[in-house]
Amino acid sequence: MIRFGLRLTLRGGREAAARLIVICAAVAIGVALLLSTLAGLNAMHTQNARFGWLETGAQGVSESHRPVPGSDPEWWLLSADEYAGTQIGRVDVAATGARSPIPPGLPRLPSAGEYYASPALAALLRTLPNAELAARYPGHLVATIGDAGLPSPDSLIVVVGRSVADLSAQPRATEITEISTTSPSGCNGPCYDIGFNARSIDLILSVVSAAILFPVLIFIGAATRLSAARRDQRFAAMRLVGATPRQIALIAAVESTLAAFIGVLLGFGLFAAFQPLIARVPFTGTRFFAHDMALSMPDVLAVALGVPIAAAVAARFALRRVIVSPLGVSRRVTPQPPSAWRVLPVVAGIAELAYFVAQGRPATTDGQIMAFLPGILITMSGLVFAGPWLTMIGSRALAVRARRPAALIAARRLSDNPQAGFRAISGLVLSLFVASVAFGIILSFDAHRGGSTSYSPAEQATIVDDLIVFADRGPTAPVRALPAGLAGTLHAIAGVRAVTPLHAGPEFGVMPATTGPPPVGAADPFSVLVECADLVGATALGSCAPGAATAAVADPSFAQLQGPSGAVWQAAPESPGSVAALPLATLVVTTDGTRHAVEQVRTLLAQRMPSRDGFAPLTIAEDRAQSADTKRSQGYERLADVVILTSLPIAGCTLAVSVVAGLNDRRRPFGLLRLSGTPLTVLRRVVALEAAVPLLVSAVVSIAVGFLTAYLFLRAQMSETLVPPGIGYYATVVAGLVASLAIIASTMPLLDRTTATETTRTD
Amino acid sequence: MTVPIALLGLLEREPSHGYDLKRDYDTYFGRGKQLPFGQVYATLGRLARDGKVIVGEAEPGAGPDRKRYVITEQGASDVESWLVEPVAPEPHLQSVLFVKVVLALMLDRSAQQYLDTQRAAHLQRMRELTEVKRTGDAVDALLADHGLFHLEADLRWIELTAARLSVIAKEIAK
Amino acid sequence: MTPLIEADELSFRFGETPALRGASLAVQAGEILAVMGPSGSGKSTLLHCLAGILVPDDGTVHFAGRRIDSLPDAERSALRRGRFGFVFQFGQLVPELSAEENVALPLLLGGMSRRDAIDRARRWFGRLGLDGLERRRSGELSGGQSQRVALARGLVTEPEVLFADEPTGALDSLTGEQVMELLTASAREHGTTVVLVTHEPRVAAYADREVIVRDGRVTTLSPAAAASAS
Repeated sequence: MIRFGLRLTLRGGREAAARLIVICAAVAIGVALLLSTLAGLNAMHTQNARFGWLETGAQGVSESHRPVPGSDPEWWLLSADEYAGTQIGRVDVAATGARSPIPPGLPRLPSAGEYYASPALAALLRTLPNAELAARYPGHLVATIGDAGLPSPDSLIVVVGRSVADLSAQPRATEITEISTTSPSGCNGPCYDIGFNARSIDLILSVVSAAILFPVLIFIGAATRLSAARRDQRFAAMRLVGATPRQIALIAAVESTLAAFIGVLLGFGLFAAFQPLIARVPFTGTRFFAHDMALSMPDVLAVALGVPIAAAVAARFALRRVIVSPLGVSRRVTPQPPSAWRVLPVVAGIAELAYFVAQGRPATTDGQIMAFLPGILITMSGLVFAGPWLTMIGSRALAVRARRPAALIAARRLSDNPQAGFRAISGLVLSLFVASVAFGIILSFDAHRGGSTSYSPAEQATIVDDLIVFADRGPTAPVRALPAGLAGTLHAIAGVRAVTPLHAGPEFGVMPATTGPPPVGAADPFSVLVECADLVGATALGSCAPGAATAAVADPSFAQLQGPSGAVWQAAPESPGSVAALPLATLVVTTDGTRHAVEQVRTLLAQRMPSRDGFAPLTIAEDRAQSADTKRSQGYERLADVVILTSLPIAGCTLAVSVVAGLNDRRRPFGLLRLSGTPLTVLRRVVALEAAVPLLVSAVVSIAVGFLTAYLFLRAQMSETLVPPGIGYYATVVAGLVASLAIIASTMPLLDRTTATETTRTD
Repeated sequence: MTVPIALLGLLEREPSHGYDLKRDYDTYFGRGKQLPFGQVYATLGRLARDGKVIVGEAEPGAGPDRKRYVITEQGASDVESWLVEPVAPEPHLQSVLFVKVVLALMLDRSAQQYLDTQRAAHLQRMRELTEVKRTGDAVDALLADHGLFHLEADLRWIELTAARLSVIAKEIAK
Repeated sequence: MTPLIEADELSFRFGETPALRGASLAVQAGEILAVMGPSGSGKSTLLHCLAGILVPDDGTVHFAGRRIDSLPDAERSALRRGRFGFVFQFGQLVPELSAEENVALPLLLGGMSRRDAIDRARRWFGRLGLDGLERRRSGELSGGQSQRVALARGLVTEPEVLFADEPTGALDSLTGEQVMELLTASAREHGTTVVLVTHEPRVAAYADREVIVRDGRVTTLSPAAAASAS
């Protein structure tokens, strides 16, 4: 019986072969995506664990400070350097003995005057002039850091050897006893903001996987329905001559298991072929090592065995009707219409999210995820569940209004079998939903937090060296004056337009005693004093009123400066001489925005006047891009892009396969209609409407529900409102819809062929 | 009714003795029902009387009846006109149809043309019966149906024969 | 009297296989003509050529004095839609549409409003003994009912010619006769010319006249030859 089933599957003629190929392809894509997701999860955890050693010395990490017998302590200072918008992790180390702990990837600790750099950084060091990068690191490069110490091949990390005396004098340096192995997500308490929180990523990734795998499952479902009518007839005929339901089930299971098996093999091949490419996608902000995108044995076994078994079970369910009746399912009667109960899950999902709007978000991250994720997932699957009902409502309305025969036929077919009509477009609906949620959240986020990724030239050209130190008692400005000659050296760099020292007045950082909003006219506690002569050319800061010698301006380290500030600052009572004598709060260097100028300034400042907060001097643009919110919204955006980019083509394939299956089912009535003089355009219109009507109806609904979901999420999680999406979103939606319509149009030649006179005659 | 024309047809093939004629008749048309010698000679006598055959000289030989019969012009034209003329379509005429087809083939005439003519005649009759059925009462319809089904059976046979003519012709020519 | 449809020396081949080789035929207005012949003789091809569905490789087809084989596809489609009606063996009803919508379909294609089209379609249901089946789907109709609905669809535009290709081929003899009875009665009532392709003599007997297609040629017998037999 199994051999018979195999023969039927493999030698069943062209239609059976096409069916097998499409199912195999669908399974292969699904398997490849599933494997990519699993490997991506593994890679993310591996990568995150590799960030562990950079957490060394953080207060939230238990290992760093406890005494370790037989180990010499070591001075350790982590700071964040920057090159051309990319962060460089810089660790300064000074061993106190021979047994000081060694970070992973290094053969030994660098001694004073030596440093190790990651390969990516070493390449930069080789190619760039010293004054732009290498001069920041004292000493010379001895070797590159091995992969064990690198989260990503692109990681920019430098480990600089210093003398104990030198390093221990640095304010933020700590003495450590061992290298941390706690990944950023395992860190409990104050941690360095490096890497990412794998717990939230896991859950977000599971939404993403669901959003990708859903369309794939639907695609597989659509593929198995291709020429299913003919297969069902065959099975019914076999039942008629006495095959038992068990035998039919076995044959069907053989077919789908074979398809699944081939599909799984192809899927593994596909995954292997695309693995290096997928590793390049910066899901976490930086790409993976290809070898980190690895599958564990349980992953492989689960997919290789699970998918064919699932396919066999699914085939068994799909065959219920044929197995029950030897007369098959050829007679066409009006199927049970979907009931209005189908909208319940969507409503439930939205209600769940709305509950948290009213109730407030849970306190912990895990709690929030547990609250929002199910809501979003329920809404998403609810949308797919409600789709047939919506399709039916829409098509019934169309059927009543239809004046043209094409609209009438299309509407009748849809309202007859809305499940089939919706199935064709359900993948697209999901993509649109995910896109709407993602874009809705991200764009609103950006709009509210100023986390936009586009910056003005002034923001990109202005470097801010923050010299304030926050102590328990409040901010203090420990730097009394610019080092001698620094201003001149800065001005000597090509492209530097202005060097503007901002001075902390006596009132700086003193908060008003009252609580609540400051009274009108009260001085800004973070305003700083500047000599107007220095402000000339510093476009990001604004300008002095005419005739003023000094002014109080907003400190760019605290204020949100956006674009060239048109601010005109009123004259301050202090004389230029008294301002110059005040301690420095911030040094602002305005350049022409070229990379050479910015990096030379940064390099010079790193040597001569390093900032006190562990961050290299950053441009205003870089500073904002560094913010955690911006990073997170970029992460979401990438994930949303991945979802949309993978699910849209799959949804397109589903659509094409479903349209073709619908055509095959009706080749005879359509062919005979064409013989009787029905213009081909009418038939084309029928096919187009059948796909386009549910597509457009569901697109509207899924976009609306998507935005509602985004709105509820924003309200509950961030107490923010939804900002209407911009052109990028509309472009995506329109592109998706146009692509779908193009797919529908691409099936038209098939319609022409299946209804051609010759085809109909010989049927 | 078909015996005289059948014998004439056999004679048109070649002049024959009475005995040979009986033997050939039995072989081709008798099909289990032999033609008595008496009827053969009586028929031949009638045909000779009507000028459709000529009785040749008795040949010297063993038996008493060694007379050869030869078909006349008149006889030949009788065969000719009989063959092209359709039989009145009525049930139970297979034997006539059959003889006609076999003879036409045997004589290298257009059996096809005969069948077409016959079909036209049959269909004409069927049209009449269909009309009767449509206009008449239930008993008429019943009777008409009886005729229609028999005619249809004939026509099916005609179609089948028409399709097999070449095979049958080969068989008979042996 | 000029024939309504006149085909002259039609040839048609499917690839290497000739289906028609010099078939000529004239159909008089108002006549019901049966086209008979064994399977594969080319009778369906002949019908398709007469109806402007296929374009003959050689020869001409005139309809109402106008040559139609050289018309562009769109015009032939319009001709089929507007002036011809069709009944096929089976499977011609759109499964999603109700019986009355199926019947109304040609009228809708002709641009009639939906209400009027349905009204006109319904009138045929009583005539063809289909009362009460207006809302049924094709899967809920018996074979004979389906064919009668198809017949109604073929006649609803009151075509000049009804082309019927084995209209009773999928039916038992009694049901087939009912369909033929209705077909011929309606055609006679409206003066519709019918070209009926069939291999069944009893179906052909409903026609006024028959032609035989054999090996791609049409054999017509003079009515006199047929009459002489009876």
